Amino acid sequence: MCEPREGLWRFDMKRIWFVAAMVVGVSQTVSVPLLAHHSFAATYFEDKTQTIEGDLIQFQFRNPHSYVHLEAPDENGQMQRWAVEWGSGMQLSTQGLSATALKAGDHVVITGSPGRNPDDHRLRMKSITRPKDGFKWNGTFS
Amino acid sequence: MLARISRLIGLTLFVSSSLMSVPALAQTDFSGMWGQRYYEDQEERAPGGELGDYTGLPLNDAARLRADSWDASLYGIAEWQCRPHSALYMWRSVHPVRIWNELEPITGEIIAIHANFQDLLERVVYLDGRPHPPEEAPHTWTGFSTGKWEGDMLSVNTTHLKEYIIRRDGVPVSDRTTMTEHWMRHGDYLTIVQVVTDPVYLTEPFIQSTDFVLDTHLQFVPELCEIEEETDHPHGWVPHRLPGTAHDSEDFAKKHNLPVEAAKGGAETMYPDYRAKLKVKP
Repeated sequence: MCEPREGLWRFDMKRIWFVAAMVVGVSQTVSVPLLAHHSFAATYFEDKTQTIEGDLIQFQFRNPHSYVHLEAPDENGQMQRWAVEWGSGMQLSTQGLSATALKAGDHVVITGSPGRNPDDHRLRMKSITRPKDGFKWNGTFS
Repeated sequence: MLARISRLIGLTLFVSSSLMSVPALAQTDFSGMWGQRYYEDQEERAPGGELGDYTGLPLNDAARLRADSWDASLYGIAEWQCRPHSALYMWRSVHPVRIWNELEPITGEIIAIHANFQDLLERVVYLDGRPHPPEEAPHTWTGFSTGKWEGDMLSVNTTHLKEYIIRRDGVPVSDRTTMTEHWMRHGDYLTIVQVVTDPVYLTEPFIQSTDFVLDTHLQFVPELCEIEEETDHPHGWVPHRLPGTAHDSEDFAKKHNLPVEAAKGGAETMYPDYRAKLKVKP
């Protein structure tokens, strides 16, 4: 049986390592098909409502839940980075929303249920409006 | 004479082959897509139960302390966002389940049953008589399951589970938990009865039933989980509530006009005669 030449063998090994690295890399970036669904009632004061108004920093359109991050003042007037939990990307897609529905810099008004841990500065989305163009969403999600 | 013998052998072979084609056991076919059917368990299965609701749980003081100190914000940290429910909680999730049989290729005997929960967790229930792994074998979210037929009912024994929660307000179950399930099919309805035993956090077996309905139109929609920074905290921050500081764990009792002691669960509170005991307490 013919043995591969040393140079060719080295080349093949390089290719193998390259392919292996690609596979590992891709598997790291591809979404992980696992999630645990947390309890809303355990995370938020669902019987309370809080309104915040500010500029959007980031819109994470994703599973298990989307997040809207914005900079807005707290009840003491101090600026905070807020995390507002929304429906999963899958749920929002069925309501006609997409990853481009909101953009960084958008000025928005959000109402939601405040988080039980005040240090989190988080809300569970009840409604969001963007006065600039009248974009509005209100509803519920699981 | 030879012709008579040939006819007799032929008849014997025909009768034998006919008898062999009859299934040896009246096993139930669980295969198919099963959608959730919510009844009194809707709140727990969909949005999630309320903080401090330990009613109906035979938990001990150690479990109560851990649950009172548990913080749901844990699910916001990167390491937790994409954790699956363990096999013992998955039936209570919002996810449908696809069940199919794995057949022995020659005999057609069912050697395993697979239960896939929206591609988030896939359990295998072995029916080929294999033993459970040794105690020191790794524990996983699915655990290790073997099953046996009891008439039409499939009884499943699961060991080697990871530590998890038994309710989404943080009531824990340890990695020494074992679970017996009884899978029952009545027409298009599937009922799963779970009997959960945990020597660390439960003083009695915890029993619950969950229902599904056969849905031939149901298809899994990919729901891939992406890890992102959800809340703004310093690196290494771990959500927690120190014992004695979590006063909102009594909100459930107040909201539903229950004595706090009753809402805090325990085996004693699970039985009807507990109501009589409550009446005589000051």
